[in-house]
Amino acid sequence: MSKKIGDVILDLQNISLRFGGVKALTDISFNVREHEIRAIIGPNGAGKSSMLNVINGVYHPQEGKIFWRGKERKRMEPHMAAQQNIARTFQNIALFKGMSVLDNIMTGRMTKMKANFIEHALWFGRAKSEELAHRRKVEEVIDFLEIQHIRKTPVGRLPYGLQKRVELGRALAAEPSMLLLDEPMAGMNVEEKQDMCRFILDVNDQFGTTIVLIEHDMGVVMDISDRVVVLDYGKKIGDGEPEEVKNNEEVIKAYLGAGH
Amino acid sequence: MLYREAGQFKTTYAADQQLFPIRQDRIGLLLLLAVAFVGVPVLASEYWFSAILIPFLIFSLAALGLNILTGYAGQLSLGTAAFMAVGAYAAYNFQLRVEGIPILVSFICAGLTAAAVGILFGLPSLRIKGFYLAVATLAAQFFIVWCLTKFPWLSNHSSSGVISAQDIVIMGFNFDTPVTKYLLVLAIVSVMALAAKNLVRSSTGRAWMAVRDMDVAASVIGIKLMPTKLLAFAVSSFYCGVAGALYAFCYLGSVEPDGFSLDMSFKILFMIIIGGVGSILGCFLGAAFILLLPIFLDFTLPGVAELFGLPFSNATVSHIQILIFGALIMFFLIVEPHGLARLWQIAKEKLRLWPFPH
Amino acid sequence: MNFFLEVLVGGLLSGIMYALVALGFVLIYKASGVFNFAQGAMVYLAALSVVGVMEWGAPLWLAVILAFAIMTLFGIATEKLVLRKLVNQPPIALFMATIGLAFFIEGLAPMIFGSEPRALDLGIVDEPIPWILDNWNMVISKFDLVAAGVGALLVGTLALFFQYTRIGRALRAVADDHQAALSIGIPLQHIWAIVWGVAGFVALVAGMMWGARNGVQFALTFTALKALPVLILGGFTSVPGAIVGGLIIGASEKLAEIYIPPVMQDLFGGNFGGIEGWFPYVLALLFLLVRPEGLFGEKHIDRV
Repeated sequence: MSKKIGDVILDLQNISLRFGGVKALTDISFNVREHEIRAIIGPNGAGKSSMLNVINGVYHPQEGKIFWRGKERKRMEPHMAAQQNIARTFQNIALFKGMSVLDNIMTGRMTKMKANFIEHALWFGRAKSEELAHRRKVEEVIDFLEIQHIRKTPVGRLPYGLQKRVELGRALAAEPSMLLLDEPMAGMNVEEKQDMCRFILDVNDQFGTTIVLIEHDMGVVMDISDRVVVLDYGKKIGDGEPEEVKNNEEVIKAYLGAGH
Repeated sequence: MLYREAGQFKTTYAADQQLFPIRQDRIGLLLLLAVAFVGVPVLASEYWFSAILIPFLIFSLAALGLNILTGYAGQLSLGTAAFMAVGAYAAYNFQLRVEGIPILVSFICAGLTAAAVGILFGLPSLRIKGFYLAVATLAAQFFIVWCLTKFPWLSNHSSSGVISAQDIVIMGFNFDTPVTKYLLVLAIVSVMALAAKNLVRSSTGRAWMAVRDMDVAASVIGIKLMPTKLLAFAVSSFYCGVAGALYAFCYLGSVEPDGFSLDMSFKILFMIIIGGVGSILGCFLGAAFILLLPIFLDFTLPGVAELFGLPFSNATVSHIQILIFGALIMFFLIVEPHGLARLWQIAKEKLRLWPFPH
Repeated sequence: MNFFLEVLVGGLLSGIMYALVALGFVLIYKASGVFNFAQGAMVYLAALSVVGVMEWGAPLWLAVILAFAIMTLFGIATEKLVLRKLVNQPPIALFMATIGLAFFIEGLAPMIFGSEPRALDLGIVDEPIPWILDNWNMVISKFDLVAAGVGALLVGTLALFFQYTRIGRALRAVADDHQAALSIGIPLQHIWAIVWGVAGFVALVAGMMWGARNGVQFALTFTALKALPVLILGGFTSVPGAIVGGLIIGASEKLAEIYIPPVMQDLFGGNFGGIEGWFPYVLALLFLLVRPEGLFGEKHIDRV
């Protein structure tokens, strides 16, 4: 794949995160380059989701620095991350169960909507035209993910695999420059996994989105990622290209096991 | 068969976005409006206006307010009546103290005052949720009613806080008969209902529903929780405030703080539970149901009592009413949590086939 | 100074009475996660059952036993017919169902037992204890003291029950995780029957105490509403929290009622009584902003 991987877009230095007495992350440093697919792997409880939550601003590390596009971020809140064009999906689906697929994905455009509530109440001018413009964009995402047939269905009624796809759609609708995916293929069968892989690769290919992905399926990780970070008990034990990491002794001991 | 959508294709997103995309719905609505604005004034009696239609519209408006807050934004509130009281007393004071202020402006100011109070009591929602928030709204309910009773300035130094609403004169025309009051209330409620419908299907409404369904996720996709929640409180209280002002000016004529009791807050909550939480239509259905049920019981119960030879006093009738309310709430929550509005939707789906069996 | 002490002690004692009602909430919440808004109505039902049965000719002890039977049956019926059907719905729906339940009881109970206020004579008189009156010039009611004693006894018993008996442990397991409790063989239906039985008993004690003090009438349900601020202060899952919360609410509301109105009257003129009506709720509200889980409650964590 001749893909142009850019400069470092996200740089994490010496991140430590504690919950009371529990150390979730200890002195973790790694970076992410623009346009690459970076995988975070490791056993359960290693701190992978916590890592994403730190990048996203849901958790605030006690120590360490985060540099986004070269500038240090002092304290990030989730909605600020959204405004900086970082989008994410969650391990346990975080869709809005009371709304339809279309509405859920429309919420992904929230940071781009400018009209205020009075304009919405009166439904004229900017409110109306904005809604239509964003609807057009959202329909593009729906086309891309091939979910036209369920656009009006309440999300709570969909099977698990489709819900995950809708969640990806909501993240894509925000046109993010970086996409954080937390186990996007968990609980899927082989076909669904292939579809999801295809979507992720297409997103990276067509839109150039940088992707940080937590995943347990080693086949997927080795196939699609450009670089891999390995966590174990909140510490980094491996960092590099997939082949490199695969042969790393510590990683094999902690996670992969022999015979991979 | 009457209700088939076949042949009604939408070729633009704009067409799909319409409030009433199905032609039959549009026709139905136009008919309803025609009946409401023209037919009813001609046909109905004074009793119907004063005792049924006007309170129905006013409580629908209050139910709209509560539904926006509880149904769409997911913030449970037990203080609805208190915000209505704020609206009533604010309207009275604006009319009284601001020389020459048009009555409609008073109503709007009353709504805005209620909105301000709503924001104040909505601040706790930034830290607490669910039934903790409900208890906090109880504080609003009791405290506000107490304030209105005890601070003499608010009721112009009348005893026990009673106020008598002033006349409604718009552009020289005096709205003093039941028919004219009905038309005024109908106009105001129609406009506000339309605004509510627009609000809830816009991105404001989506933000509210997102906060209701999963506020952490909402935050992550860029929805700022504080302004969203406070806006819900503000808009909801605005609606309740206007409803309260209309309650004083177009329905009862004179009100006192104790009239806006916890009991009324519960009644409005029941309206949205039975009518359908998270549905604009549900507000109207619920209000109609809750208002008409006592009348229905008043008619039928004495007859039933005679049939069974049971002793019936007035007290018993009101006990039965309360009992039936409670039973209905539990029934709806178990059987159809989305209330009458959902039943209506199901009925419409059946209409697609009727009169054919399949 | 003596007057202040008198008001304080009076408040503390009535606080224990609030705690009695709050205990019922805590029990049901601990065991089933349901916030039972109908607890106040249940207190009313219990009190009405006692006086109602007595009116039909039974002596006090028989009335109490029958009332307990009524409460337990009622609790079991509620669990079977209402709560079980709502298992899959969000907690807010369950809460609203208990609001419906409260109304249901408030309509049904007076229909069966009559709605006129009645006195309940438990044989303890509501008059000042003589030697306190003589030595310290304070009016402290004998009845309040007895009620406090009963409350303390009840709380102590319940605390021991939860902590040290097999059934108490089973109740705590069920409160933590229904599925897990089922999987280790705890019979859920029996447990819930027991919980509602105990909650009914607590409601009965509270109903009798409050009924004897203020008369058995509809206003009892409002008194019971006051238990909500008690729970917020004490934490929804803590038995000792209910007591501490009750003490704080009882004392502060009485003190506020005595000491705030004169100040307001000086500032604004007019009569500013009735602070008791909202003070506990506002106090609870302020408390919620600072410590949402209450003094003894468990912190709620949202996992993403």
